Order: sequence, then C-alpha cells, then structure tokens
Amino acid sequence: MTATEAVASVQARVTRGRLRWPHYLLIGAGLLVLLSFVRTLDDANDVTSSGTVSASLRLAVPIFLAGLGGLWSERAGVVNIGLEGMMILGTWTGAWAGYQWGPWIGVLAGIIGGALGGLLHAFATITFGVDHIVSGVAINILGLGLTQFLAGLIFNTGEAKALGGGPRQSPPIDPIATLTLPVLSGGQIGGWKSPDWLGSLEKHHWFLVSDLAGILRGLTSGMSLLTLVALLLVPVTFFVLWKTAFGLRIRSCGEDPYAAESLGVNVYRMKYAAVTISGACSGLAGAFLVTVAAPLYQDGQTGGRGFIGLAAMIFGNWRPGGLAAGSLLFGYTDAMNARGGGGSVHALLLFVAILLVGVAVWQAVRAMRIRPQIVTDATRREIRNAWLGSVLSLVAAAALLVWFLGSEEVAGELVSFTPHLTTLLVLALASQRLRMPAADGLIYRRGEAR
Amino acid sequence: MRRGLKISLVTVAGAALTLSASACGGKKADDGDAGGDKKTVKVGLAYDIGGRGDQSFNDSAAAGLDRAKKDLNVTLEEISAKPDEPDSDKESRLRLLANKGYNPVIGVGFAYTNSIVKVAKDFPNTKFLVVDADQCKVEGANVLGACFSEEQGSFLVGAAAALKSKTGTIGFIGGVNVPLIHKFQAGYEAGAKAAKPGIKILPAKYLTQPPNFDGFKNPALGNEAAKGQLDAGADVIYHAAGGAGIGVIKTAGAAKAWAIGVDSDQYNQPAVAEVKDYILTSMLKRVDVAVYDFVDAVAKGTFQGGTKKYDLSNDGVGYSTSGGKVDDIKTKLDALKADIAGGKITVPTKP
Repeated sequence: MTATEAVASVQARVTRGRLRWPHYLLIGAGLLVLLSFVRTLDDANDVTSSGTVSASLRLAVPIFLAGLGGLWSERAGVVNIGLEGMMILGTWTGAWAGYQWGPWIGVLAGIIGGALGGLLHAFATITFGVDHIVSGVAINILGLGLTQFLAGLIFNTGEAKALGGGPRQSPPIDPIATLTLPVLSGGQIGGWKSPDWLGSLEKHHWFLVSDLAGILRGLTSGMSLLTLVALLLVPVTFFVLWKTAFGLRIRSCGEDPYAAESLGVNVYRMKYAAVTISGACSGLAGAFLVTVAAPLYQDGQTGGRGFIGLAAMIFGNWRPGGLAAGSLLFGYTDAMNARGGGGSVHALLLFVAILLVGVAVWQAVRAMRIRPQIVTDATRREIRNAWLGSVLSLVAAAALLVWFLGSEEVAGELVSFTPHLTTLLVLALASQRLRMPAADGLIYRRGEAR
Repeated sequence: MRRGLKISLVTVAGAALTLSASACGGKKADDGDAGGDKKTVKVGLAYDIGGRGDQSFNDSAAAGLDRAKKDLNVTLEEISAKPDEPDSDKESRLRLLANKGYNPVIGVGFAYTNSIVKVAKDFPNTKFLVVDADQCKVEGANVLGACFSEEQGSFLVGAAAALKSKTGTIGFIGGVNVPLIHKFQAGYEAGAKAAKPGIKILPAKYLTQPPNFDGFKNPALGNEAAKGQLDAGADVIYHAAGGAGIGVIKTAGAAKAWAIGVDSDQYNQPAVAEVKDYILTSMLKRVDVAVYDFVDAVAKGTFQGGTKKYDLSNDGVGYSTSGGKVDDIKTKLDALKADIAGGKITVPTKP
C-alpha cells in the first residue's frame, strides 16, 4: 500500500461515519413529521404554531450570540467564561445610548460596551497571562457591579428619571423595526394589507402542511431586523473562521500557538482580535435583550444566558452550525415555558418517548453489529454499554408514555423545568464525540515553545 | 513574576467583588426637615428585590415613606435586597438597622416575615412592620403585619376585564408561583365569572417557579407570555408580575389589546407611557397607606402590634380610573365593590 492509498483509506473511514448536509436535512424532516404527528394526535396546536416559532427565535438569539462570543474566543485558545459579564455591559451601554439616540445606536453602543469587556479579558489573559477562568469570573463580577453602579448614577437622575428610569432600570427604548413578508405572511405594502396565506394554512391544523406553514410564518412575520442580523452571523462566522486566512490563523492559535508562531503568525494580535470580537458578540447579545426581547434595561436581565450560551457552544462542538442548533433547542423549550404550554409539553412527552424508542433500537442494532468483531475487552465493554443504553432508553420511553397517557396536560411547575430537562437529556444522549481546540485555555508566552 | 501577577489579579477580582456587593446594597442616609420642635423618627426600611425605583411594589412603599417625610420629622435609611439571597441576609440587614438605632424598622415584602419575627424578639423596644405578612400571621407585641386583600381588588378588575372583553377570552399572568400571587388570580377569575358567567379565562400563566424570582423583574418573559395569551385569543390581560409586567403591558398595547396594571396606577407610569391608552385600569394596593399609617402611629405613640387588614372597606385596595377607560362600567364595579365591602360577596383567596 502506498502512502496516498493509506491516507485515502483513513479518510474514507473518517468520512463514512460523519454526517453530511443531506443527513442533517433528512433528520430534520423526520423530526418535523414526528412533531406534526404528535401535534395532531394530542391536538396541541401550539407545538409548531408561528407564535411559538417566532418566540423561540427571539429567545434563542441572545443565547446564540453569547455562544458565538465563546466560539470566537475559544477558537483562538482563550476560554471566555466572562461572556455573562460582557453581555451585562452590553445591556447597559445599549440601553444608555438606545434611549437617547434610538435603538440602532444602542445596538452599536452595546457592541462597543461588550468589546471593551472583551478587550479587558484579552489584556488580562494574553498580555499578563492570567488564568482564563480567574479573569472571566472577575469580568462577570465587574460587569454586574459596574452596571448597577452606573445605572444608579445615570438612570436615576434628570431626564432619564423623568422618562421612567430608576436605579435598576433604564427609560424605555424604542423597538427595532420588524419585518413581515407581504402576501405570504400578511405584511403591508404601502398602506395595503396583503393576504396572509401561511396564516390561513396554519389555521386549518392539517397534518404536516399546517406545521410547515406555521414554522415558515414564524420565520417570516414580525421578525426583528436584529434577529436577521444575528442569523446572518452563522454563515459569516463560518466563512471568516474556516474560509479566510485570518480565520485559519485564529484557529491555529487555538490548536497550537507555538506552531503558528513558528510560521510567522502574530499570536498575540490574533488572540486580541478574537477575544475582542468575542466581547462584541456578547455585547450584541446584551443589546438584543434591551431592544428586542424587552423594551428596557433591567438589573439582572441577562439571567445566566451567557453561561447557557457557553453550554450551547460546547453542545455545538465549537462550530457555528451546531451552536445555532443548540441555542434553537434551548430557545424552543424556553418558548414552551414562557407561552404557558402545559398542553404543548404534554404532546412533547410522546415526541420524546418515540425518539427514545428510536435511540433504543439504534443502540441495540449497534450492539448486534459489533458483536461478531469481539476481540478485546474494550469492544466487549462497548457492547455492554450499548445494551445498557438501549434498555435504559426503553425504560425511560415507557415511563414517559405512561405519563402521557395518564394525564391531560403537564403542570406549570414541571413546564418551567423543561429547558433544564432537555439540556440534561440532549447532553446525555448526544454522542460525546466533542473536540475542543487543542490549546484551549492554555497560557501562551511568545518564544517559550518547548 | 507570573505568580505575582496572578495573585494581584485575584486581588483585583476580590476588590471587584466587594465593589459589586456594596453597589448592591445601595445605601442612602437622608435627613428629614430640620423642624426641631417635633420628635425625630428614625425609620429604617428594607426593600424587597427591585428596591426603590422598581415602578411597582417597592416604589409604592417609598411613596408612603416620602409622604411621611413631608408630614413628620423623619430620618431615613433604605437598603435593598439582592436577588436569590438567603433569609439570613435579610435577618442581618434588619439587625443592622435595629442596631443602628432605627425605630421603627420596615420590611417590604412577604419574604421578610420570618426574619422580622425572629429579629423582633431580640429588639423588644423597636417597632417592626412587615408589609404583606406571609399568611397574614406575625408574632410579638412589637410587630405589625400589614395584609392586603388583593383578591378583592382583583375581583373588581376581573369584572372590568370580563365586561370589556370583545373576544370573550381573558388572561392572567402572574410573576412567580407563590401563594400571594394566587390571591390575585383567584379574585380575578371570580370577578370575571361574577360579571359574565360565560367568560373564558385562559389557564393562568406564572412566569417562573420559586425559588427563581426572575418572574417579578424580567420583562422579556412577560412579553412572551403575553404574546402566547394574545395568540390564544385573549384581548384583556391582567398582570401581577411587578417589573416583568412592563413587558406584558407593552405587548398587549402593541397588539391593541387591553392590559390591566397592578399595585400602583400604572396609567401614570412613564415607562409604559406610549401604550397607556391600552391600560384599562390598575388594581391598586395601597402599600403607601400602610407604610404611612405605621410611621404615623409610631410617631404619635399609638402603635399596636398584631395584624392590620387593608381591603375594599377601608380603601386599602381598589381599582384606578385614570384615563376614563372604565367610566361606562363604573356603576357596575362600584355595586360589586359595595357588595364585597358589605360582606354580600365573599371573594376566594385560592384559585
């Protein structure tokens, strides 16, 4: 076997197990059919209604943007646990500029505020080589304390107070314009109110058709322009990080900074750029909170979304697409909770039960398939684990099914627990083949390669 | 060298922690009018989460205090609570005020009930007030619990909602799923059914479950919950969600549906000024009256321990008429009010 053949065979083995675009589309379509099935069966129309979809989008965007901040920073090898603090800085600066000069200036100010937080983190971790976690925690505390102090100082006096500000909240900020497609979703052209085709399709509650209409209408009606900007950041980030020289340099700093250094990359500069962009993304997340999600700044508004963003990034395997999927999942369960969907969550019980049966079957098939190849204890253990996973999934599915059949709807106390439960389930079931950048969290000193 | 830097950064972090902690406290000492002839009352007031400036519950208490400051000779110290703090923090806050010689000491919010009862035992000469006493029960001769019959006020706005609804569907959004907010829900639903038996009331939505008290301050949650109820066909929504209610009112107003405010007359609040034409009415809870009465009683020496009930009969709760949106049904509402005050209607406190 020649060298090229060996490489080709290794590549073939790697790519065979890897999922590609068609797979993702197929999985998505399958999930949609299943969702539609449980919706019609349980008569829980809010599961795929346009309202739910647009709410989940609104709730997912801040998580996504915070996660994007984490992605930029960690791809350059700097762990950024200070996302929450930078987000808080973004909410305050965004609100401060927003109530005076309009929401878009507020967004810009939020980005700058977050970027300043990022710059501070970069300064501490890159120039001074401080432990990344220590600096991040300090920024979280600093962001909270500083904004509380500034809010009391500025929002509680003079004009701001007259407009409705206080020590814990800013004056209201004008909302950012929303976009509704004409004809399809009932948007307006000039003064004329166009028909709402998707809306009328959705109201029929037909199998699959209405679900698709609901999802499309959720995406095309009342969508804030800032949400659109956030969505565009998925391909933009992918393009910049994976298709440009700048992105390659940043990623190389996260994988092996000394190798990058030996090739003439200015690692310090790359890391500074990445961490500042990271702060800017978190600041944008904060600005989104004060201009789209809520009409004003309020103390403690971020509510740990920075950390959830970090979790979504890990779930997404440090890649923008996975991160977007993770934040949408969190956003969807959050929307269920916020919209009071006791009935919808009830339908989702069946959905998860069916999924779990699928997982059980898949694990069993896997166990059967590797069985003839038993050579080492490791394979034996793998088979045992697969069987165990299969049985556990079946038990869980049975329990959920009993719950589904035995109740009319899920109590509010448990609905609010859905986001956490989903996180737990997804992280437990998702195959743990995650790989973080190799030099993530390590302190780099120029010229100290060993 | 690098170790030294690390240590110094940790120190900075520690300093930042202290800074933020002191920023949370938000202390303010304030001298009242220097009218020397009246006896000075040193009032110590501990706010619930949100503190002065929350445009809701705490501000209502602050308004009572401000009035007391105008009429009486008052020295004042105010401290705010932090979110998610344990009871021991509340206790030490009250102890601090009492130790500094503040008398009377006021705790705003039901979360202070246990702490006040505990601390009051150690300071028998200090008078304590707890606004919204939990289950309307307090202990000790030097403790007064102010209780509000929120269900009665909510009954009236529930009736207004049912009478004003065009779709025949109304909704309720509560901040946090605690017994106190259940009273709002119970009264609202009873009132709506009394005014219009065929009315459809959507399942009550609680934004968060304790111990997560975000539901009293996160307007984004209120915003989404209101959208959900509007999508379900409601055209009147009553919120009992403090700061999060700003999101409810704004969303309802943007959809040209009615919102009903809570605690103070929200029609006059600058934060929701642009949608005030869609604020039907507000359920008034006169925390300011309770605070003022208490300080006044202590100053005059007529203080008595126990509990004091504020309800429709003494105008401790009620509904607002600013904006004139309920003028056409005012006679009906006032008839209901008279029935409740006269004992003809008993309003449930549990949904």
